[in-house]
Amino acid sequence: MQLIFTRRDWMLAAACWAEALRAQTTAKFAWFDPATAAEIKAIAAQIIPDDDTPGADRAGVIWFIDGALAGYDRDKREIYTRGLAEAQAKRTQLFPGSMSIAGLSGAQQIQLLKAIEQTEFFQEVRRHTILGFFGHPKYGGNRDQAGWKLIGVQYSARYEPPFGYYDAEANGRNSK
Amino acid sequence: MSDAKYRPNEAVDFIVVGAGAAGGVVAKELSAAGFSVVVLEQGPWHQTKDFMHDEVAVMYRSAFTNDFKKQPNTFRKTAAEPAKIQPAVEYGRMVGGGSVHYTSNYWRFHPEDFRERSAFGAVPGADLRDWPITYDDLEPYYTKAEWDLGISGLGGSNPFDGPRSKPYPLPPMPVKSSGVLFERAAKKLGLHPFPAPMAVISQPYRGRAACSHCGFCEAFGCEMNAKSSTLAALVPLAVKTGRCEIRPNSYVRKIEVGKNGRVQGAIYFDGQGREIFQRAKAVVVSANGAETPRLLLMSKSKQFPHGLANSNGNVGKYLMFDNGAMAMGYFEHPLNEYKSIVVTRVLHDYYRSDPKRGFYGGGGLDARFDYYPAGFALAGMPADMPQWGGEWKRAVGQYYTHVGGVLAHASSLSVERNNISLDDTVKDAWGLPAMRVTFKNHPDDLKAVDFLIEKQKEILETAGAKKVWVDLSTTGDVTYSRHLMGTCRMGDDPRTSVVDQWNRAHDVRNLFLVDGSSLVTCARQQPTATIQALAYRAADYIGQAARRGEI
Repeated sequence: MQLIFTRRDWMLAAACWAEALRAQTTAKFAWFDPATAAEIKAIAAQIIPDDDTPGADRAGVIWFIDGALAGYDRDKREIYTRGLAEAQAKRTQLFPGSMSIAGLSGAQQIQLLKAIEQTEFFQEVRRHTILGFFGHPKYGGNRDQAGWKLIGVQYSARYEPPFGYYDAEANGRNSK
Repeated sequence: MSDAKYRPNEAVDFIVVGAGAAGGVVAKELSAAGFSVVVLEQGPWHQTKDFMHDEVAVMYRSAFTNDFKKQPNTFRKTAAEPAKIQPAVEYGRMVGGGSVHYTSNYWRFHPEDFRERSAFGAVPGADLRDWPITYDDLEPYYTKAEWDLGISGLGGSNPFDGPRSKPYPLPPMPVKSSGVLFERAAKKLGLHPFPAPMAVISQPYRGRAACSHCGFCEAFGCEMNAKSSTLAALVPLAVKTGRCEIRPNSYVRKIEVGKNGRVQGAIYFDGQGREIFQRAKAVVVSANGAETPRLLLMSKSKQFPHGLANSNGNVGKYLMFDNGAMAMGYFEHPLNEYKSIVVTRVLHDYYRSDPKRGFYGGGGLDARFDYYPAGFALAGMPADMPQWGGEWKRAVGQYYTHVGGVLAHASSLSVERNNISLDDTVKDAWGLPAMRVTFKNHPDDLKAVDFLIEKQKEILETAGAKKVWVDLSTTGDVTYSRHLMGTCRMGDDPRTSVVDQWNRAHDVRNLFLVDGSSLVTCARQQPTATIQALAYRAADYIGQAARRGEI
């Protein structure tokens, strides 16, 4: 593949760098209070867990969600506020004596989320988590292109054929 | 941006409302023919640098489309149920309109599409009609569109196409893995796959650079100007005439009519929210199949109490939507469908209606995978697999590069109760009545999709897919569409149609409706080539009629 470093690539690199810098400093949330952020972060971390590759937590998805709720998706705040309160009620019911979602064990968190997975709240957190993890790194939630790396996308502003195995094969270009 | 040329109270020859797939053609043709033209476009005028690779902004924040937060529409399946706010109509909202962000499939309608009523007969519960024109009437304009815009394809490779007077100006785009698998399987099944005709240039053309296969094609704007939108191919030519002024961020709320019943101009809000009345000798409305009827219905006057050009009550009726379904397959080796354009192979073997099937309709199939990363993770995985958590994460990681699909583009029947009207209570951000969409598929539309899904699965299985599934969000009643067609139908009879065969309103001699609204049938979707061919034909007529003093 021909490697051409375009202005667009520079912009992407600059955005990633700026985000990395932001994460290092003690950045403040634009909309979340720290307690709410910790709860949403715990939920996002079960939706896309950190395992042998980065998940929502290491990729910084909470920053994407915060930015969304502070900006374009401000009309979704009500879903978060009401939905989180309902999730906490469910938590107390399932795990009496527990203090927070973040404080539950992983298995307990999964049990709780399965109990609420059909709710508008969970679906919205799932949507935001996925948009953050797989969206443009400039929003802060796809740090180091973690989402794109997971799915095997090597981001470039341009590509040359062959694109995949089968078109290469059809053109006699796969070495076997 | 073009400099201001015309003052509002100076009557220009033509106002064109909407600078999209059709309006861009009309503006360029009429200005090149020597007329003064003001184009009023509600969206912005983007430069190529604005066409970023940002899925969140483009797919989830309406960067290039109508923003439902500012322009809500209401939706109901039938008039018996209350309409609620629910996005139902999406269109390109910018100079270039839908031609900027579309997938770029550029199919001509087949000759029999213009004569389906005669060939197939009446369909109960629908109002299937023949067109007042034939394929032969339109053929020279299909050719003109293909050469003016720059279409890549292989003429004669689709055995079901009508005759062509000229080949495509550019060779087909390089085949992708989805196209290779589709073609192999289709040939094994005795079908006739062919290279997709696409409005993307495979080689440099008329000063524009060839496609760089960046992969951000469907729903995105092209930063290379390789997608043959009216923004890339025609708007610069219109501006260059020195007679065409394009006014972006200009949202028309009413077309004014004089005491003589003739159109006198258009009232619009500019970018600062100021109301301006631009005078014109004639008006061409190319606002799309949903916004054109809405504007006419908002343009009530003493002469036209039920809306402009609506003396027979047909404006807004017979709305046709995009219909079809997506089947997907997981393959052993990577396809890397995220690269390059969306579609490289098509087949039309199931296109024609066959009375033996017991229903009207059919469809064209294309090989594609049109999911961006977040969209795939949100909704692209098989429904019988987990949708979040560790197992899901691993599966998404494995699937994204290994999935290819087949999309069916199916018939949508013209039904009177499906329509665009004005909502009684909901308003947009400018205080104008919101669009109310009433739509429920004719049963035959759904039967056609069920029939096609089996064919799609057969192709994917024959191609060797390890797992085949149907994207369930694409099946059942259609409640959302980017193809907006049929709301101001073309016809010879002023009692049953809104415009004549030249796109002139039956009711008003100096008003023309040139866009998807005039389509009598929607064939098998992919209407842009036909909308643009009609626009070239209408512009040709309008120019000649104006010169003869007949407008």
